[in-house]
Amino acid sequence: MIRRKPAQKIGALIVIGLALVWTLVPLLWIVLSSFKFETDQFSIPPNWFPDRFTLENYIAFFSNSEFVRSLFNSVFITFSSTIIALLLGVPAAYALARFNWKHSNTVAFVVLLARMTPPIVMVLPFFMLSRYLGISQTYLPIILALSFFSVPFAVWMMRGFFQEIPVSLEEAAMIDGCTRFQSLRRVILPLVMPGLSATSILCALIAWNEFLFALVLTGRDTRPLPVLVNMFVSERNIEWGVMSAAAIITVLPMIIFGLIVQNDLVRGLTMGSSK
Amino acid sequence: MNSSQRIRGLSYVLPALVFIVIIFMIPLTYTVVMSFLRWNLLRPDLGIRAAGFSNFVRLFTDKFTLDTVGRTFYFVVGSVFLELLAGLAIALSLDTEFKGWKIAQSIILVPFMIAPVVVGFVWRFILNNDYGPVVHFIRQIGLGSLVERPLLSNPSAVIPVLILADAWQYTPFVALVLLAGLKSIPQEPYEAAYVDGSSALQRFLFITLPLLKPSILVAVVIRTLTSLRVFDTIFIMTGGGPGTASETLAFYGYRIAFQSYNIGFSSAINMLTFGIAIVFTVIYMKMIKGGAIYD
Repeated sequence: MIRRKPAQKIGALIVIGLALVWTLVPLLWIVLSSFKFETDQFSIPPNWFPDRFTLENYIAFFSNSEFVRSLFNSVFITFSSTIIALLLGVPAAYALARFNWKHSNTVAFVVLLARMTPPIVMVLPFFMLSRYLGISQTYLPIILALSFFSVPFAVWMMRGFFQEIPVSLEEAAMIDGCTRFQSLRRVILPLVMPGLSATSILCALIAWNEFLFALVLTGRDTRPLPVLVNMFVSERNIEWGVMSAAAIITVLPMIIFGLIVQNDLVRGLTMGSSK
Repeated sequence: MNSSQRIRGLSYVLPALVFIVIIFMIPLTYTVVMSFLRWNLLRPDLGIRAAGFSNFVRLFTDKFTLDTVGRTFYFVVGSVFLELLAGLAIALSLDTEFKGWKIAQSIILVPFMIAPVVVGFVWRFILNNDYGPVVHFIRQIGLGSLVERPLLSNPSAVIPVLILADAWQYTPFVALVLLAGLKSIPQEPYEAAYVDGSSALQRFLFITLPLLKPSILVAVVIRTLTSLRVFDTIFIMTGGGPGTASETLAFYGYRIAFQSYNIGFSSAINMLTFGIAIVFTVIYMKMIKGGAIYD
């Protein structure tokens, strides 16, 4: 924190004010549109605040079985891939933080490379292989693909959290007769709980928002919300109101979860290089 | 460390490692192999034949490749530069004592949590030429000539608009990384400089910027890597169009695979994208080793 002169404080206020307007204008438009009647969507000039608002777009969303199915798919796919990421990632992170063997740098590189690979490189083989194996358009390929993205995040984030816990705590528990597993479960796990929830949310965010793999790998019965949003936007007559409601329903859970863990989020996305 | 500990450590790491390597190596090997094949799903009569380097020869001799790489870098450089400037301004402003800054920070962060597909939808909506509020506003302030052609069907405007949409989503990320960096700068150099009678600009140029360099590098490399893979917003806002005016490398690879069904050539394009990503990943690793990062 730096001491500022009044002129600088005014400058800061202006910058933040502009940033808020820049951020909020598109959001506000979508929020308002999701509550507008269909006829008010097409008014020229655009009308921010028509005389009346409605819930009909949300009702339309929830009474369309295809939409509700997509919502369920999103939840199911996100939940499954996050569980896989934690089951695989947390033990690996613990080992990388605690046992230091000479190969841990190699492991780190593999994990980093997996994280940095452009999804487009993976998506075509994934598509071809799942077709070949006869599992295309099922949940399995998309869940595996999304876990592949979130495992590296889980490893890097949790490694950072484990490193912050002094080894002496565990040693003390082990001297008192705990096995390493018991000390992990009874001493360490409660301490990394905040980190664990931040990691889960980040993994969920990645899975929930992913589009390219979902577009290619899922079918009618398995497609999640982002694919649904895309389908209706590509059509000639976009139902802006219903789509705005779908957009709000798509983003709201992640905004809420994301804001809860906002500081750890950045840390996870920079692979622990920024705290 | 004794051998039983080593084995236990390995048994913790192995599941994740095996999973990543399998899910990573099989598709990657598959891509490499496919890039040396002549394989078009629309021409099953031709079958799958060895192509030697012909896919790569075509890739590197086609002017379109160069144009696409150029467009991709235009997008990457433009968005990263804009996000860095805006992110720095926001981070510096948030690094002052004001009540309510925490709330402002949370609001500014919101676009970052939004699915890129939805970002594309939102921008397409507000830029709609008939009932989009932003286009209406541009006309009202007398810049109507800018939007005579719909922004997203204007070949010279489409990339700048995509850059703005990208900046809307990712500037908060850059700002937060830089803010974390600013908060870790110690107070002492500023006090010393203050005593020496330095100006605010001097303190910014000679203390803040150099000490913030590691965070700036992290933000730039990560954003470069993620904006290199941009697909979702382009797919939904322009579909690569008008024509191919907003087609980036990732989109090119997608179109050749899933619209032309030319598996071999698409794999060659994707190898090029992968190669560019590896270069940046190695730079990132070097930065970590070079102590640019305070892990």
